[in-house]
Amino acid sequence: MKLVFTLAFLLSTTTFAKSRGEELFNLCMSCHGQQGYGNHKVGAPAIAGLPKWYITKQLTIFASGGRGKHPDDDAGNRMRPMARTLTPEDIKDVADYVSILKPQTPEKTLHGDLEKGKALFVVCAACHGQNGDGNEVLHAPTLKISNDWYLVTQLKNFKNKIRGADAVTDAFGATMSPMAATLPDEEAMKNVITYVQSLKQ
Amino acid sequence: MMEQIITQASSYAAQIDNVIHLIAAIVGVWLAVAFYVFFSFIFKYTRKRHPKAAYITGETHEDGKWVHRAHFVVIACDVVILVFAAMAWHHVKQQLPPAEATIRIVGQQWAWKFTDPGLDNQLDTVDDINTIDELHVKVNTVYHFKLEAKDVLHSFSVPVFRLKQDAIPGRVITGWFKPTKTGEYDIQCAEMCGIGHGVMAAKIVVETPEAHAAWLEQHKSQNITQNIKTKNLKKLAINK
Ligand code: HEC
Ligand code: HEC
Ligand SMILES: [Cu+2]
Repeated sequence: MKLVFTLAFLLSTTTFAKSRGEELFNLCMSCHGQQGYGNHKVGAPAIAGLPKWYITKQLTIFASGGRGKHPDDDAGNRMRPMARTLTPEDIKDVADYVSILKPQTPEKTLHGDLEKGKALFVVCAACHGQNGDGNEVLHAPTLKISNDWYLVTQLKNFKNKIRGADAVTDAFGATMSPMAATLPDEEAMKNVITYVQSLKQ
Repeated sequence: MMEQIITQASSYAAQIDNVIHLIAAIVGVWLAVAFYVFFSFIFKYTRKRHPKAAYITGETHEDGKWVHRAHFVVIACDVVILVFAAMAWHHVKQQLPPAEATIRIVGQQWAWKFTDPGLDNQLDTVDDINTIDELHVKVNTVYHFKLEAKDVLHSFSVPVFRLKQDAIPGRVITGWFKPTKTGEYDIQCAEMCGIGHGVMAAKIVVETPEAHAAWLEQHKSQNITQNIKTKNLKKLAINK
């Protein structure tokens, strides 16, 4: 009988207590939103449901200065100090929590040329997958749950060597950087992201 | 005294510390006097020795002088402090010794951005060196800084220099410092500026002319290509 009570008690505390990841997520909410769906005003993208390996890696390089430390990267410079407040243990816990949040279908704000975008995406599919679902082996994240405005900013950042410029501090970003350079201008970036968005249906 | 607590690394650090010492000394003497009076009264006017208290209104001249005279001494002390404080303020904030180099400092949520004039010692040219959270300066050199804020209020604080200057959006505030001691010191934002304020720290590296030249050399090439690509050059074109 005693054992049953003890077990019931243990079970109840484990189910009701907030996980560490959930508590840490309180900090993230102020910019990434209550549900992790992002906030365009502060340049914070949706993060809910990103793969755990990708979140862990991004938080780690933000904290070490491999991402978000470029003088022209205002949004990155807001995220970097946040990551610096986390220990490696915290990063694991919060990444755990964020990765199981329900991803959103982000609102469409771009109206690029779908056909041109499709042609450009052929290159991207090699790493990000035919459906833009990402590929863990190649460290390429899914592009389907991020906001389109954010993805365009990142392409510009990769192209202008604001993100992924240094293979030592951001090894995987450095594999993406030359890919963004194949897109000639902002028009092309918008087209390819418009196509990525269309993959959702 | 202050020097033992936190090192003095700028030309005016000692002057500011001396104002702090002066205030501590004057206030300290008065503290000692006040304590002496309180404790001696407690001892002197015990119930056993003076069972009945007297009520003094302080209306007669004889009684009032204990208040007036002390007042004059306190005002005199204030004036002494004010004179030395004003001299320090004038030296640090009101005047500008001629610059040997001018840097730009931009506070933003939540990073310090520094622009070194580069080899030509001229801001807004292609060889400018931009850094984040790390400022490299030459020892024994008078620097002017152009302090800006990109979004909200920040405050540029270098404790070892005894320097603190608010950064205000829309304004370019000019100030100066002259580092006198090589080493790596802290910079901290000293004005609440949002959720990341507490971690808005940076580093100032005061180095010998040789070390600074080596640093410039090392950062020269990568920054030129970067500057040509981004807005700096555009800014140049507009200025011309
Ligand atoms: C002060 C606002 C702010 C807070 C608080 C904040 N972030 Fe961010 N975060 C941002 C911004 C802005 C970006 C976009 C950076 C960019 O454009 O490169 C970002 C980007 C990210 C990214 C990269 C997304 C991607 O697709 O590459 C991850 C992951 C992330 N944040 C996780 C977190 C976590 C986890 C927390 C809580 C511990 C957190 N953030 C707290 C502002 C914030
Ligand atoms: C060589 C493999 C590869 C190819 C090809 C590639 N990418 Fe990437 N991409 C990556 C990797 C790896 C990352 C993650 C970078 C990191 O970890 O910082 C990434 C990240 C991104 C991001 C940032 C995602 C985020 O959440 O911050 C965008 C946007 C992106 N890629 C778009 C594209 C587009 C568009 C193309 C086609 C023009 C493309 N990629 C082609 C490997 C690739
Ligand atoms: Cu601050």
